[in-house]
Amino acid sequence: MSDWSKVTRPIPVPNEWTQPFWQAAKQGVLALQRCQACGHFQHPPYATCVSCMAIDLKFEPVSGKGSIYAYTIMYHAGDRRFAAAIPYASIIVELDDAPGALLAANLLEAPYTEAKVGRRVEVIFQPLNDDITLPQFRLASEAP
Amino acid sequence: MWEHRCKVAVSGVGFSHVTRSAEIPLAAHALQAVKAAVEDSGLAMSDIDGLATYPELPATGHAMVDGITIVSVNCMMAMLKLPNLSWQVQVDTVNIGGAVQQAVNALLAGVCTHAVVWRAMHNPRGTYQNLPGTHAHGASQFTAPYGFGGPGQGMAVAYTRWLERHKQNREKMATLAVTQRRHGNKNPHAYFHKTPLTREDYLSSRMVAYPFCLYDCDIPVQGAVAIVLTTADRARDLKPRPAYLAGYGQRLAFEVAGRIGSLSSYMEGGRSSSRLTWERSGFTPKDVDVAQIYDGFSASVIYGLESYGFCKEGEALDFIQDGRMELDGALPLNTFGGSLSTGRIHGLWHIIEGALQASGRAGERQVKDVNVSFVGASAPVVQGTTFIFVREPY
Repeated sequence: MSDWSKVTRPIPVPNEWTQPFWQAAKQGVLALQRCQACGHFQHPPYATCVSCMAIDLKFEPVSGKGSIYAYTIMYHAGDRRFAAAIPYASIIVELDDAPGALLAANLLEAPYTEAKVGRRVEVIFQPLNDDITLPQFRLASEAP
Repeated sequence: MWEHRCKVAVSGVGFSHVTRSAEIPLAAHALQAVKAAVEDSGLAMSDIDGLATYPELPATGHAMVDGITIVSVNCMMAMLKLPNLSWQVQVDTVNIGGAVQQAVNALLAGVCTHAVVWRAMHNPRGTYQNLPGTHAHGASQFTAPYGFGGPGQGMAVAYTRWLERHKQNREKMATLAVTQRRHGNKNPHAYFHKTPLTREDYLSSRMVAYPFCLYDCDIPVQGAVAIVLTTADRARDLKPRPAYLAGYGQRLAFEVAGRIGSLSSYMEGGRSSSRLTWERSGFTPKDVDVAQIYDGFSASVIYGLESYGFCKEGEALDFIQDGRMELDGALPLNTFGGSLSTGRIHGLWHIIEGALQASGRAGERQVKDVNVSFVGASAPVVQGTTFIFVREPY
């Protein structure tokens, strides 16, 4: 299993589009930007709905359950701060509630060899400091 | 079909001496390549009246210093002091293929007569990627905290999806790496011109970002390449046989910045760009005699072959087997060695090889009886462009 204890992650800097995402994560809630006109969820946040061009967008909670859409196993310490965790799984998750909205994460609490396309995962929350909590994923405990 | 089909041609091409990292300023590489391209055309520098480039610095986190880490149009203007310069542009969105297309448009509009396009690529000494500091801003706030540092990972995630959805085996990619290197061994300007690569080298090489091993990634280098474009009637009077442009296209599929790992984005991008190229040129994939497809990372060739219509989705790794991509195969592919052999110079070298093959000037690696020469320059995920060059302008 990758050793994340010695990894110093870059701290996300929220901006006017992304702040509600990070505020929700701090409360242990995964919330994505949703179009109030057509109901489309999207991530990363954007100025307009990428489905219907409406501009009335709000952040709404999602269940945090989904599947691994794609992944890579990092063996190269291109970013030295992640060297202690190598090899580690960086995954892209597609949520059940938000098809097409792809979230980057790490696969935590499991060997990196468990990362496979289609594997069921669920969100967990990893505090980085007093302000920022990262949504992360682990293998889903329930049957799919 | 395109009303301007075969009305513009590539004439001369030029290369700088490619080195592993910066030894001389990048501007000197660009100047060397441009001078060589103009000389290859048999033109005088004073004949050049159009300039275009795409000056992006892919080595992220380094300062943009004109002449050192990028070579802008302004820098080239200052070096050349062209007495008859009448048009110039520096493009942003579609990589170097976009600069070539702008030059084509300028020639068709009659605002210049002989345009030079160059691509100069910097490899700083020391660390290639100077990754973000303690904080991640903008789109990287959703990726950098998870260890998505460089472009390789973004490409690698789409590749795992492709491999597992189509139940494919990454070891088949050895054929691409090894065949391209054999082609590159016939390209005197390639960084790996004298370095062979075996199937065993590929299969035993260290993993970088699974499924990419070392030989799935092009090597960062310092170098530049350039081409001269002119109208077809002028090109016929110049020294080299012209490569006529039958059609081009650009990626027109929509994508939000920062959305990574989307395989469908590559496929939609490639389809949108190639559809226009097929329509404008009047050709289909079956008509193509030789193809250059961008290979900054090996999997880009797979997405290209499928989205441009050369084979079905999920079949590209089988398509390239059994000698098909050899110089005498059914679809000779990346005949100059690709970026995997030349080093990371982006898509202009693919365009140059496409033109050289169409005009019968590819030397030891010339494919026999080429008329239709296809180029997919840049990975179609964000910046794809496609071109078809022909030997006979019918």
